[in-house]
Amino acid sequence: MDSKSSYHPYPPNWATRFLRWYCRPELVDEVEGDLYELFQRRVEAKGLQRSRLLYWLNVLMFFHPDYIRRRKEFYSPNYLAMLRHTILLTFRSFQRYKSTFFINLVGLSSGLACALLIYLWVTDELAMDKFHKNDAHLYQVMQHRVQGNELVTSTWVPGLTAQTLVEEMPEVEYAAPGFGLDQYTLSVGDKDVKAMGQYVGADFFTLFSFPLQQGDASQVLADKSAIVISETLALNLFGTTENVVGKTIEWQHEEEYQITGIFTDPPRNSSMQFDFVLSFKIFLDENGWATRWATSWPETYVLLKPGADVHALNEKIADLITRKTNDEVAHRTLFVTPYSKNYLYGNYENGQQAGGRIDYVRLFSVIAVFILLIACINFMNLSTARASRRLKEVGVKKAIGARRSALAFQYLGESTLMAMLALVVAALLVQLLLPQFNEITGKQLYLPINASLALSFLAVTLFTGFMAGSYPALYLSGFNPAKVLKGALNTSVGELWTRKGLVVLQFTLSIILIVSVFVVYKQIEFVQNKNLGYDKDNILYFDRVDWEEGNLETFLAEARKIPGILRASSMGHDMTGHIAATYGVEWPGKDPDDRTEFEMMPISYDMLELLGVEMKEGRTFSREFGTDSAKIIFNEAAIEHIGFTDPIGKTVVWGNEKLEILGVVKDFHFESLHEQVKPMMFWLSPRRTWSVAVKINAGEEAETIAQLQSLFQTFYPGFPFDYKFLDQEYQSMYAAEQRVSTLSKYFAGIAIIISCLGLFGLAAFTAERRLKEIGIRKVLGSGNWNIVYLLSGDFTRMVLMAILIALPISYFMAQRWLEGFAYQTTIPWWIFALAGLLALLIAWFTVGLQTVKAARVNPTVCLKDE
Amino acid sequence: MNQRNHLGEFEEIVLLTVGILYDDAYGLAITDEIEQRTKRKVTLSSVHKTLMRLEQKGYLHSHMGGATEERGGRKKRLFTITNSGKDALREAKQLRNALWQAVPRVVWEGGNI
Repeated sequence: MDSKSSYHPYPPNWATRFLRWYCRPELVDEVEGDLYELFQRRVEAKGLQRSRLLYWLNVLMFFHPDYIRRRKEFYSPNYLAMLRHTILLTFRSFQRYKSTFFINLVGLSSGLACALLIYLWVTDELAMDKFHKNDAHLYQVMQHRVQGNELVTSTWVPGLTAQTLVEEMPEVEYAAPGFGLDQYTLSVGDKDVKAMGQYVGADFFTLFSFPLQQGDASQVLADKSAIVISETLALNLFGTTENVVGKTIEWQHEEEYQITGIFTDPPRNSSMQFDFVLSFKIFLDENGWATRWATSWPETYVLLKPGADVHALNEKIADLITRKTNDEVAHRTLFVTPYSKNYLYGNYENGQQAGGRIDYVRLFSVIAVFILLIACINFMNLSTARASRRLKEVGVKKAIGARRSALAFQYLGESTLMAMLALVVAALLVQLLLPQFNEITGKQLYLPINASLALSFLAVTLFTGFMAGSYPALYLSGFNPAKVLKGALNTSVGELWTRKGLVVLQFTLSIILIVSVFVVYKQIEFVQNKNLGYDKDNILYFDRVDWEEGNLETFLAEARKIPGILRASSMGHDMTGHIAATYGVEWPGKDPDDRTEFEMMPISYDMLELLGVEMKEGRTFSREFGTDSAKIIFNEAAIEHIGFTDPIGKTVVWGNEKLEILGVVKDFHFESLHEQVKPMMFWLSPRRTWSVAVKINAGEEAETIAQLQSLFQTFYPGFPFDYKFLDQEYQSMYAAEQRVSTLSKYFAGIAIIISCLGLFGLAAFTAERRLKEIGIRKVLGSGNWNIVYLLSGDFTRMVLMAILIALPISYFMAQRWLEGFAYQTTIPWWIFALAGLLALLIAWFTVGLQTVKAARVNPTVCLKDE
Repeated sequence: MNQRNHLGEFEEIVLLTVGILYDDAYGLAITDEIEQRTKRKVTLSSVHKTLMRLEQKGYLHSHMGGATEERGGRKKRLFTITNSGKDALREAKQLRNALWQAVPRVVWEGGNI
């Protein structure tokens, strides 16, 4: 009996808690007591299980307005006063801890400035080509072709694609080809101007939103003799846009065109930049071969009808070329892709979309987040570290009734205010740095004053403030006031670990960025200095303007007479990428399904010597051996593909001609190092070369070019002499990589500086807190260096930890990036060692400044008072 | 008699039960007492609400009583009837009596008309 009476089962705990939570405090006792009594009585009568259920039911039945506590009854803050209080305290704490304030401001504002710059760049990239009114229905026709074992994707399609799609596919409303975007010479009277132009279909201005200032979009290109020019070009040629329509312009000193319209210059966020357009019909008339379905020349844009099924259309047009050529060309398939998407997602790998510029957009977005995160961590770390100084404040506030949420609000308010200040500084910084940033990125960014930017950055700032303030806000406000005021609060192990963990994270991110800088730099250096198989230095080249073979010969002969010119010749290639290729080369034993394309390079005499290409066997074209016109030279890759073991003297068939193999050149890189060396063929055909190249003597560039220019002017009066250097063009192939290299250098620098600022603040704080300990140690006979060692030990361990974490990650990331190149530099181990050492040295230096100062303190000073 | 002083039927029962229990009138005891005497099922929460309402009207007075072990250490709120509560009860009783007397005897005795 005894045991039974002393045993009291408990009612469901959660129900009681719920009751206590909602019930008015003055009623809770009696209700809980009644329910308890009832419960005990029921347990005996009805069993535990049922009683618990009924207890729950009873608790819920009391959940009634009469019983629910009213929060306002015992707390009614004056929000405005609280806000003023918060702001006042914030400014006081800024004033009192100037170094912390300064570190936070510099860190956050540079972090925000980086993020802002990257944001501007990213939004600009994302907005590219999106300004067309028809954007949602504007598509570009693309082509996959089988090359060897893989699919190669290009934007070039057969010349009649546009016309055929409009005629045969009901989904297509309009279509327009665009071809030959290049520099041409335009003249009015004796004024010559070089301008970018292209041949486009008649519906071009209907498809794209390049608004016409004069002329009607559907009519301007109706006539074959029409030319539509940009506002700027009109101003250049005529000095006005008034009464320009109807005037004639001479093109390449060959043809005359009549101006039918003037369009507003393409905006900067258009990937297509041009000054004038001509009718595509002209191009087809003059180049009858371009109408053949077996060739691919223009880019083609289509406007689909609203609601058209793109997948269905893609299926229908896939075999268009096969059908049009009666199965003769069956390895090329067409498909459409959204026009504005092509800018960012332009890369294809074996027929699958494989990134493009979006990779860099993503990369820099990640960097922006990294840097902002590092800056936030500083803020969090310093705030939590400084928290101990404000413990009394928190204790007093809580003791007189401040609720936890009010304290959290105070700290969040503080950090948000800080972030706002940082945003203002960041905006000024961005304004200051934009010109340099534009130079690096090759863009024309500016800080627009508009609501969407302001709002999104306000959001980012608030988020930053929240992130930075959240930890102190949640952590400081959770202190137990009794303990705090008694001074019994010990720094928890968890808190120390969090702070250390954040420092480790910061340094991990910084080291990853440092390694990336090294790797990108190494690869760029490798690319610049790799032996390409030809000598790109001191080669100058320019487009031919005159197509008479005889004239070219005379020009070259005259050019060779200029003393500074070592060699002069011409070629049908620019050595910086794929130009034109054919799969029409036949040889005995060729697989009929083999569609591997050979890069075509028509050349004049002396061209291979000019490029400094080495012969593997055989000889090059030479005047001394009579006519070499039925001969052909391959590169090693081509011979390897064909499979000839002793190629010299053997013949291949191309078109209707039998060509004897005259020689084999060693492989050289005529495309970027992203690509493997592909098969290439050279044949002697000065008629088909379009680029005149000269090798000049190093050191005499200026006078040689001047002489060459005057020679050019006498031969081709009225054409501006517009030349390029091969090595510069080569470098421009890696513009994207150069950009990444430069930018990542800056961003890594900023990241490490911000990290160090944080470390500096922490070290200063630690030294300050342990001042008494240091004093006692010194009194007991500890030397200065012992103290330095003591204080830096912790930080050293953190940075070492960061190195351990960062190196594998950065190695993996570097590998991934390098995989994009067919020819990669090696990543030597010392890059990682160097990055780690650098981080360690910087950290030591930062911490050292503080610790040495602390170690040299006079113990009598710091132990004087308590 | 105005509307404010009107006692509902359940209120009257609760008020009377508080009187019955005299010095041990608290929520659960009142509920038990009503259940036993009226043989009707009443819930604790409805009794509680009525008690609060009656206290607001000034018919009841309450004070916190001692905690006992069988209540898990919780105090009970003990109710006593105030003078105005007594008046209200009396008034209700008088009203009822007056109504009883107004009913002609023949209704009860069932005579022929």
